[in-house]
Amino acid sequence: MYKVNLLTRDGATIAFDAEPEETLLAAAERANIYPPSSCRQGGCGVCRVTAVSGDITLDAYSEAALSESARAAGETLLCCAHAQSDVTLHAPYDQQAVAFAPEPVRRATLVALEPAGASAMRLQLQYQDDPEHGRAAQFLAGQFAELELPGAGVKRAYSIASTPNWDGALEFLVRLQPQGAFSTYLRERAAPGDELIVHGPKGQFTLDDASLAPRWFVCGGTGLAPALSMLRQMAEFADARACRLFFGVNRVEEVFARDAIDALQAALPQLSVTLCVWKPESDWRGFTGTPAEAMAQALAGTTEQPDIYVCGPPALIDAVTRAAAGGAGRVFCEQFAPA
Amino acid sequence: MFCYQCEQTYRSEEGAGCASAKGMCGKDAATADLQDILLHVCEGIGQYLTRARALSATDAEADRFILFAFFTTLTNVNFNAAKFVQLIQEAAQIRDRARALYEKAARDAAKLPETLHGPAAFVPAADMNGLLAQAGEAAVRKDAAILGDDVVGLRALVLYGLKGVCAYAHHARVLGEERDAIYAAVEHALDLLARNPKELGPLLDEALALGHANFAAMEALDAANTGAFGMPEPTNVRVTPIKGKAILVSGHDMKDLHAILEATKGTGVNVYTHGELLPAHSYPKLKAYPHLAGNYGGAWQDQQKEFAEFPGPIVMTSNCLIEPQPRYRGRIFTAGPVGWAGVRHIADEDFSQVVQAALALPGFTADAEEKRITVGFGRAAVLGVADKVIDAVKSGAIRHFFMIGGCDGAAPGRNYYSDFADATPDDTVILTLGCGKYRFNKHDFGTVGGLPRLLDMGQCNDAYSALVVATKLSEAFGVGVNELPLSLIVSWFEQKAAAVLLTLLALGVRNVRLGPTLPAFLTPALVDVLVGKFGVLPVGEAQADIDAALARAA
Ligand code: SF4
Ligand code: SF4
Ligand code: FES
Repeated sequence: MYKVNLLTRDGATIAFDAEPEETLLAAAERANIYPPSSCRQGGCGVCRVTAVSGDITLDAYSEAALSESARAAGETLLCCAHAQSDVTLHAPYDQQAVAFAPEPVRRATLVALEPAGASAMRLQLQYQDDPEHGRAAQFLAGQFAELELPGAGVKRAYSIASTPNWDGALEFLVRLQPQGAFSTYLRERAAPGDELIVHGPKGQFTLDDASLAPRWFVCGGTGLAPALSMLRQMAEFADARACRLFFGVNRVEEVFARDAIDALQAALPQLSVTLCVWKPESDWRGFTGTPAEAMAQALAGTTEQPDIYVCGPPALIDAVTRAAAGGAGRVFCEQFAPA
Repeated sequence: MFCYQCEQTYRSEEGAGCASAKGMCGKDAATADLQDILLHVCEGIGQYLTRARALSATDAEADRFILFAFFTTLTNVNFNAAKFVQLIQEAAQIRDRARALYEKAARDAAKLPETLHGPAAFVPAADMNGLLAQAGEAAVRKDAAILGDDVVGLRALVLYGLKGVCAYAHHARVLGEERDAIYAAVEHALDLLARNPKELGPLLDEALALGHANFAAMEALDAANTGAFGMPEPTNVRVTPIKGKAILVSGHDMKDLHAILEATKGTGVNVYTHGELLPAHSYPKLKAYPHLAGNYGGAWQDQQKEFAEFPGPIVMTSNCLIEPQPRYRGRIFTAGPVGWAGVRHIADEDFSQVVQAALALPGFTADAEEKRITVGFGRAAVLGVADKVIDAVKSGAIRHFFMIGGCDGAAPGRNYYSDFADATPDDTVILTLGCGKYRFNKHDFGTVGGLPRLLDMGQCNDAYSALVVATKLSEAFGVGVNELPLSLIVSWFEQKAAAVLLTLLALGVRNVRLGPTLPAFLTPALVDVLVGKFGVLPVGEAQADIDAALARAA
């Protein structure tokens, strides 16, 4: 049995014991400590920390989760690592990101599904009442959950588009992938009354409530979901701070959630919305280009230092991060685990 | 930011005070600066109201606003910067109204109104960045370089004591008890602070005047609580949960608790008190609700763990809130002066949403093993057995009383209070109040002279009860309070405790043991004054302090 000290970014020390044959992640969880993780098999990199002292061996993992150079710099994966001595680790997150109870696993009923533009679906789920969790939908606006088809072994992560509530309602926007197992289910078999398993909530992509900066949301496709959740939350709290939404899709027929955006504009009069289409047909009157380009233009025309919440494909996150480099604002994004 | 108002303030070789981006309590720099500005504008209100009052014109709404505004700035109360921007604008409007009131009163009295300067003339910027740029004018230590730490420290004692007075007076006010003398004292202190006082003498006098005002505030609060809910009576309280849906109510506000008990009537939801709401169980009109099920958890500094584990919604009334963790952020509600950005706030005493949340959350799935403690030894209960007490003292059965009262906190050194309680001899009685008692209130102290050795007198808000008991005992024995076989061991954490200390000093109570550390704003010279004039003693080692107290009494 070895001692493991996980030091978080905000200076807290989380200690647990580990046997050499168990992974550090399993050892932590045995002690009711749940550091961020996702795939649990060396594939996603979510559990990455830096070892500052001690000996560690690693099971097989994917290069995408831990590059050669990162490993050389001492980084390691909690889900693959085994302690061979007492170990001290540095976590790249605050203590807040570590849970001290197992992640909820709950049953939900599919209550409605409908197309959202040409290439996405809108799902409404209802948590079932259970003695451990009740029926409330508790999460932080911006978080995601993993949806599992019972018996099928298929699990996919999607952001929650609704706000926390006591009725147990959840809304998701799901992009349909041509070959995706979950997408195939949605296209071919899904029907109201189906039962799904919801793992989570998870994720750190949530509003920085303490910040007083204007909030800009930059979203591509179904990356709109967490922004909807956060903006809806602002509407519920009658938050008066300045906010903008840059929402982009590839083609005009892919535009969706117009009703939700209209409702937000009514509830948040200060919200300004820029709809962006990358490759529009001739009669498109909105912005032509990506939401990152629209945001960069807006940044160039202002002295504001907004908090920028970006959600979408990696290329969008990259473009936004580059546009904001040099101090034009703080960028928040979710490092999504490719599942 | 700079703040050194509470006991957990950052301490280093260079001195004490939270001066970085975030204080030890989690208060961020913008919020801290905005709080300073809010109080600065309130000083301006005080400048006009004192003068108006001298001409018999008053503005009760403005006075009430001051109480609320000050309460929001206590440690662990309100951390929502946006709220302070709004309160500052409101304060400026009220100040302008106070000016008009004063000028009219002066003209009516055929006098020329004075033109006032300082906070009275301060124009707060319209937005956050503008306000933050003005923070220097309102900073607690703004004149330290010129006037030195003693003057600045004594100003801080007045300002922080005033915060405590305002908090107590606000608690009383929400239940309909107001005292004009308290408002006059608050305005007077604000006016004094607005004049940037440089002499130690008037500041010390003002601190003692605030001690008297605080006595009045605590008396009003006692009247408010007992008037609304009856006289506390000894009550056995369950401290372990029972099966069923549940709401947890923390803080100090009996009125909010009452509203929640009403809102949950007939819903099957059990209501638990947390922290300083424990004494609520001893009030006849509150304990009459059968679904006031028990007390859950310990003192405020354990809340992050306890709230995370509580299977229902949590309502935080008044102080002491710490950063809501993600695991319960969605089901914690603030009420009254309390606030945290991104947390639901109930401004209108409508708790229906909380009931809805309780019904949707799991609640306790099983009964825990039954455990109980006894609370409710307020002044009526103790004086109800005064004969017994007096006989026990006369017969020697009771040798001494130790009042171990005040706040708890997370800082090291606080074991002193539990060590102290545990080491008190069997022929002594421990009176306690405030959340510091959570360190020992589940210990078994047995009985003496037919009385429980541990008598829980209530909240930190109930110091009045303790003083009444002390006064009555001294009358019965025909001696002064300082000659009674009674020692006060006060643990301070925040500004309500600072106000109580001023009250003790103002009433001439000597030899108060204060800890676990002395307030950082008190310089060595100021501590000398407190020691010399009032016999205030820092806490030392528990057993030695007990021996010294018993030796002094012998
Ligand atoms: S209230 Fe206490 S902990 Fe918070 S900033 Fe002030 S001195 Fe520091
Ligand atoms: S006694 Fe003091 S520290 Fe304890 S809860 Fe009351 S105000 Fe807060
Ligand atoms: S959880 Fe460790 S790499 Fe995915």
